[in-house]
Amino acid sequence: MHTKVTLFVQCLVDSIYPRVGEAMVEVFRRLKVPLEYPADQTCCGQPAFNAGYAKEARAAARRFVRIFESAEAIVCPSGSCVHMVRHHYPELFADESIDYRMRVKAVGNRCYEFSEYLTDVLGVVNIGASFPAKVSYHDSCHLLRGLGIGEQPRTLLRHVEGLQLVEMDDSDVCCGFGGTFSVNYPEISTAMVDDKIDNIVATGADYVTGCDVSCLMNIEGRLSRRNTKVKVVHIAEILASRAGHNDE
Amino acid sequence: MSDVEKSAYRRDARRGIDDECLQSGLQKIQNRFGKGAMHYWAETADDGLRDRVKKSRMETLENLDVVLSMLADNIEAAGGHVYYARTAEDAVDYCRRVAVKNEVKSVVKGKSMTSAEIGLDAVLEAEGMEVTETDLGEFIIQLGEDRPSHIIAPCIHLDRQRIGRLFQEKLDIPYSEEPPELTQAARRALRKILLEADMGITGCNFAVAETGKISLVSNEGNIRMSTTMPRIHLALMGIERVAATMSDHQGMLQLLTRGAALQKLSTYVSFVGGPRQPGDPDGPEEFHLVMIDNGRSRILADEEFREVLACIRCGACLNICPVYGKIGGHAYNSPYPGPIGAVVSPLLFGINRYADLCKGESLCGACLDVCPVRIDLPRMLLALRRKLAYGDPAWQTTRHKWLEAMGFRLWRTLIASGPAYRLALRCAGLLQKPFISKSGMIKKMAGPASAWTRDRDLPPLASEPFSRRWKKKYSQAAKATSSEVDNG
Amino acid sequence: MDEKGAFLATIREALGYPGEEVRTAGECRRLFDPGDDGDIFDRITYRTHVEKQSLLKLMMENAVPLNLGVHPVRSFAAAARTIGDIVSAARPEFGDIRQIIQHDDDDIARLQLWKKFAGQAVTVHTSYQADMAVREKAIASYVGITAPRWAVADSATIVEITGPGRPRSTSLLPSVHIALLRIEHLLADLGEAYALLRKNPPQESVVFISGPSKTADIEAHMVHGAHGPREMHLVVIDERMTADRNYQGSGLFPAE
Repeated sequence: MHTKVTLFVQCLVDSIYPRVGEAMVEVFRRLKVPLEYPADQTCCGQPAFNAGYAKEARAAARRFVRIFESAEAIVCPSGSCVHMVRHHYPELFADESIDYRMRVKAVGNRCYEFSEYLTDVLGVVNIGASFPAKVSYHDSCHLLRGLGIGEQPRTLLRHVEGLQLVEMDDSDVCCGFGGTFSVNYPEISTAMVDDKIDNIVATGADYVTGCDVSCLMNIEGRLSRRNTKVKVVHIAEILASRAGHNDE
Repeated sequence: MSDVEKSAYRRDARRGIDDECLQSGLQKIQNRFGKGAMHYWAETADDGLRDRVKKSRMETLENLDVVLSMLADNIEAAGGHVYYARTAEDAVDYCRRVAVKNEVKSVVKGKSMTSAEIGLDAVLEAEGMEVTETDLGEFIIQLGEDRPSHIIAPCIHLDRQRIGRLFQEKLDIPYSEEPPELTQAARRALRKILLEADMGITGCNFAVAETGKISLVSNEGNIRMSTTMPRIHLALMGIERVAATMSDHQGMLQLLTRGAALQKLSTYVSFVGGPRQPGDPDGPEEFHLVMIDNGRSRILADEEFREVLACIRCGACLNICPVYGKIGGHAYNSPYPGPIGAVVSPLLFGINRYADLCKGESLCGACLDVCPVRIDLPRMLLALRRKLAYGDPAWQTTRHKWLEAMGFRLWRTLIASGPAYRLALRCAGLLQKPFISKSGMIKKMAGPASAWTRDRDLPPLASEPFSRRWKKKYSQAAKATSSEVDNG
Repeated sequence: MDEKGAFLATIREALGYPGEEVRTAGECRRLFDPGDDGDIFDRITYRTHVEKQSLLKLMMENAVPLNLGVHPVRSFAAAARTIGDIVSAARPEFGDIRQIIQHDDDDIARLQLWKKFAGQAVTVHTSYQADMAVREKAIASYVGITAPRWAVADSATIVEITGPGRPRSTSLLPSVHIALLRIEHLLADLGEAYALLRKNPPQESVVFISGPSKTADIEAHMVHGAHGPREMHLVVIDERMTADRNYQGSGLFPAE
């Protein structure tokens, strides 16, 4: 019997890309994993933390710990949020009591990124998905360098029926999002995402995918402005696809 | 003034991005040396070397007073002079006094960022001295009245055509754009100057306390000449650029040459210190080591930032950084560019002054991965951002962006309450409607978000957030599955 | 408190120690711990001649990308011939007069180069300590000949230690640098060189040289020949070289 998974969907997924959350639900249902979703979750605090606003981030973190600490397994479709909870929450609460710090650590230990949870915890690599298309994969910074997750998403993608995985040059180079960086230093951010898109286009891929909605939103926004015909899809959406039911 | 013009960083970043010559040069070094360094660390057998060197660097820093004292004693025992410069002004003034006292007319320089940091050249030139950079890249920069853009390859932003025209004009030679010919022209032009100079001024890659020698790492031979032929050698040394023992030096040297240019060893590594021995036909008559604090002891005192002093100045972080790779070194407007510069420049010269360097990166973490001594630059950038967010009197830092601080205060209020957050989403969902274009994306936003829509479209808020969809579609089913699970 | 005292006191306080109390090396013993180089010295001492010959082969491979010419020879006479060939083939860079300068060293003296060049228009200077004009002679010479203390196979490096009659300029100012080494002084890696330097720290200056000077400052394009010598050769004497231990490969003159 599978452990119940508590969904931590990420604020961007909740508000802008709910279909990513739905895709996660679909995948877990197929694997017969019981789910729960604490409805009053909001944000892990990362946007504030990365911009230097640790006090504000702490408020969000405290709330997160309160909402999620009774969960057995917390799964999130975003590597950067998981990195926040695992690596930065202990820093945020370094001055708290030892008890609280242990609670925070425990929450971090039970928090997983979606692809990581499927391959490393559930031991599943084939979800029975079908997605006939040429797809390129973008390695998000916190996911790859912060959490060490790079093989797991690729393994899952290789087991998707009909999917042709084409590696882009510099898949691990930052897409230029960086949170407030993208709006405070837009010329630099745009120059970086342009390089990323040039690399995607060079592969001839129909889709670009990844495990972090922040990156994908950044890439999608620029693709759209450049009128480039590559579509953006989160890995959960690919894995949720079945033959004849391709996601747009 | 537009937002871009108000920020020298953004303005010069824009210039760098538009400079095709710079972009080509940056791609070359990043592809070869940045990726090459990462590849080397992945393949190398002795992975423990980086950790061992880091450890010895930190231990040296934690005992820096003892180490520097030993170094000074050994240099003085060999007949050298040591000067303790608390500030840039102290250092510059000492150099000037030594030069004036010795009636120096001509100074040759080995590449030294520290000399740029303290502003030495202008002061010596004001005394009527001829100051010539002898490192080829720095020589080219000097001829073109330009600024270096990389700590190892200073003129990577210039192409061979520009250099060819510069040499044609300034060295009065026929135009050539072939690097071997240009290098030969510089060799000829500089040989006489190197042989006849009165004083050689260099930096110091690493001093070795237990031997009283400083080591200088180079490929061209100009530093060897600058420290061998003139009668005075003066070396500038940041207080952190010292190894306790030759054992420590060995590890640091190997990481430096690998990290800088993927070399097992640079062409020349010289160990010098003290005046020539009686009977020696070459070598300086006087040797001076100027130890420079200029804010480093303050960094040392702060345990959050002490680690940055372990830097061996290899430049690997510049070679891997995607931001540096787009904007180039000039945008940093500091003698220290790149990721290391983004931490060191604010700490040395003012956090508010260099606020853009603290905040103008995406925190991708590549610099930490590539650093031979594993300096956690992202961690320190976050710490600097915190100081800018709230101010810090200990570091003379005031709050940086009032509007942004208010924004995050508001954000905190919203995310702290489920109902407030959901209400805000609903309002935003309504307010966005006039901005959504026919394609379904938002093409132009108002306020701070307009910086995003300048170059990118923005996906609109979904008509139904996930939380509502869950409630409608899934919560019943989830409850059912759960009770299945509970009931076995 | 004098300048030095005040300067170091600031650093002590930064580290959390009272400023006025001078700390000594004894308080951070571990930092200055010499460690044990016993294993390294054993390796060096018990290395067989055959092993050194393998190291020489390795050094020749490592020398190729550095544009360093390595010439194994069987005798001092053969070394003299090889050096003679190099000197004859090279052209003076600055001016026409052929002058070469050699260190005052027993091994170099054995080559009797003055004999080799007698009758040719090549003047052989020796950098005797007593000679007041060595500096000018080094500047005027287009070939410099030195005898390094050791060579290191792994990085194709020679280690020169300055001394009476062995000035720095000999391996620096001439356009061509020739180093002479007996294979007995060949080490495996830099660690061994460091161990030997730790054992007897030289008072004088030391330099590691790994090939002719170079630069890649222009468009990251590698050019051999910057300010130091633009051509470099290492002549290695192996008096126990036998016919079937021929060293193939390097020993070529660097490309123009």
